Amino acid sequence: MTPLIQFQQVSKVYGMGNTEVHALWQVDLTISRGEYCAIMGPSGSGKSTAMNVIGCLDRPTSGSYYFDGENVAALDDTALTHIRNRKIGFVFQQFHLLPQLTALENVMLPMVYAGVPAAERRDRATRALQQVGLGDRIVNKPTQLSGGQQQRVAIARAIVNCPLLILADEPTGALDSHTTQEVLTIFEELHQSGITVVMVTHEPEVAKHTQRIVWFRDGQVIEPHLNPKDIGALTAPA
Amino acid sequence: MDFTESLQMAVKTLTANKLRSSLTMLGIIIGNASVIAMVGIGEGAQKYINEQLQTLGPNVLFIVPGNRQTRELGGLEIPRTLVVADADAIQAQVPTVVGVAPEFSSRDLIVFRNRSANASVVGTNEQFLTVRSFEMAQGRFLSKLDLDRHSQVAVLGATLAERLFDQTPPIGQSIRIRGASFEIVGIMARKGSNLGLDYDDAVILPITTQASRLVGQRQSPYGIEVAFISVSAESRESMSRAEFQITNLLRLRHNIRDEDDFFIQSQDTLLNIAGTITGALTVMLAAIAGISLLVGGIGIMNIMLVSVRERTQEIGLRKAIGASQQDILAQFLIEAIILSIAGGIVGTGLGISGILVISTLTPFEAGVSMGAIAIAVGVSGGIGLFFGVFPARQAAKLDPIVALRTA
Ligand SMILES: Nc1ncnc2c1ncn2[C@@H]1O[C@H](COP(=O)(O)OP(=O)(O)O)[C@@H](O)[C@H]1O
Ligand SMILES: [Mg+2]
Repeated sequence: MTPLIQFQQVSKVYGMGNTEVHALWQVDLTISRGEYCAIMGPSGSGKSTAMNVIGCLDRPTSGSYYFDGENVAALDDTALTHIRNRKIGFVFQQFHLLPQLTALENVMLPMVYAGVPAAERRDRATRALQQVGLGDRIVNKPTQLSGGQQQRVAIARAIVNCPLLILADEPTGALDSHTTQEVLTIFEELHQSGITVVMVTHEPEVAKHTQRIVWFRDGQVIEPHLNPKDIGALTAPA
Repeated sequence: MDFTESLQMAVKTLTANKLRSSLTMLGIIIGNASVIAMVGIGEGAQKYINEQLQTLGPNVLFIVPGNRQTRELGGLEIPRTLVVADADAIQAQVPTVVGVAPEFSSRDLIVFRNRSANASVVGTNEQFLTVRSFEMAQGRFLSKLDLDRHSQVAVLGATLAERLFDQTPPIGQSIRIRGASFEIVGIMARKGSNLGLDYDDAVILPITTQASRLVGQRQSPYGIEVAFISVSAESRESMSRAEFQITNLLRLRHNIRDEDDFFIQSQDTLLNIAGTITGALTVMLAAIAGISLLVGGIGIMNIMLVSVRERTQEIGLRKAIGASQQDILAQFLIEAIILSIAGGIVGTGLGISGILVISTLTPFEAGVSMGAIAIAVGVSGGIGLFFGVFPARQAAKLDPIVALRTA
């Protein structure tokens, strides 16, 4: 079985000439189906850039990226949009819920773009909200929800199209320790159900819950297989 | 994403931000209201003038002195190249003509006992009544005999009769004009003024008596000068033939080699002239209104651009979770079109109210033109589409990574 995510010498270069920035530099990285892994590293080390490439929001400047066996560089924007819609669920630090829509409508949004019939949409969105423990909050607008609840709505939105991969860039960055725990519990459940979960975090406490840590520095992966239980390694990587 | 879905989404977004939505619509509302009102006024004016011209009488030709140029130059002095004998000749020699009435009028003081009134004094012949479609209320009109004998008789318009005689029955009474005395033989039925001529407030005399008795009327070597001659043709179809025959006759009588010293106008040519003028007026009003519609469209574009900038994160999120460029383009276009059509409908309502107000305040029966409404609402939609395209493309082309990062 092919790995879900496979980077081969992936580079991402921003700017030109003197101002050229190598956000990623010849990265080789493989993440298999069903893995639960954390991406860590100092600020500016290329974590978000890597997430953008993994999430098919961006293409590498050079090298190849295979997602679910497909060479992403060879696909056009429409195909990438389709992959994001059907195979990837995004969770952001800032939640990014639409304020004019209710929790239910926010969760239905990916299915709207997927062309799912309206009745089925409502059904699946309700179940997704129940799954994250918000079955009683479906008609609330985001402003009527706490930060933790908003992030759970965002997770419901990410899983509603039954994706292969959940990508979360600092999903607990805006949350307190209690709600962080709630979010991590949900991620653990998703992982148990077979979904691949990749999350960026700078908190060892959070990374500890994953199976594997990928450590970035200066646009390169310097530790592709750190064991989260090895906390000492986290504070002083090579 | 299908159309009704996009529509619902757009309505949700627009109602979530009512203040901005209404401000965006304002320009279109004003533009539409002015298109509807302006076109309504223009058409009302057209209708008013047409009605006025129609009261001139059917199948009537007007022969006026001077040529097109002298009339257009609009000198104070009307050239006096037409005489009563011309009218008689037309009557006698043009077969398609059934009636001819020469006219000359002045303003004078009309005196009855100790009362007096300033009014038009119109000299004409016995055919005036039928040629110009007037009717008698009391008594009789001028007769052929009155003209032949230079009788000192007069027919009053209804308004003037009221002004001079309140209790006394006017028929049989004598009035004085410039020292000459005239016996009232009849009163015409009221017809209302048209084109500034009000025969209701006039006294009608035999043109022969007017020429011989009233000081100040000039006579040329060819006879009594007239201001114009009204001619009624047999039928509508024979009007152009009558015009041709009259032209030939008058050219012969006036020894004309090159330029005519008279000019023939029919109700149709007057209607055409008026139509051209009011048409130009309507076009001008519509153009002014159209410009405000355009400005409204630019307003939509302006606010949509601001909206795209404000909603950058929303656009980024939508694209990240699966909205295609077309989805975003459609979303913003539909919002723009909904705003402009809604603005169009509200503006149309305002325009119609404006027209109703104008109709009650002016003699114009300003009409609510269904065509103008359809065009205004359609054009608004088009304007929304046209001015929505640019902001919507900006939105559709946004890079989701950049859009999501924007704090
Ligand atoms: N759009 C961009 N244009 C120019 N430089 C960028 C852009 N995005 C990221 N970078 C640079 O690439 C490097 C990696 O950034 P990023 O992936 O955001 O790091 P991290 O998420 O690990 O903090 C940084 O030096 C950043 O300044
Ligand atoms: Mg980052």
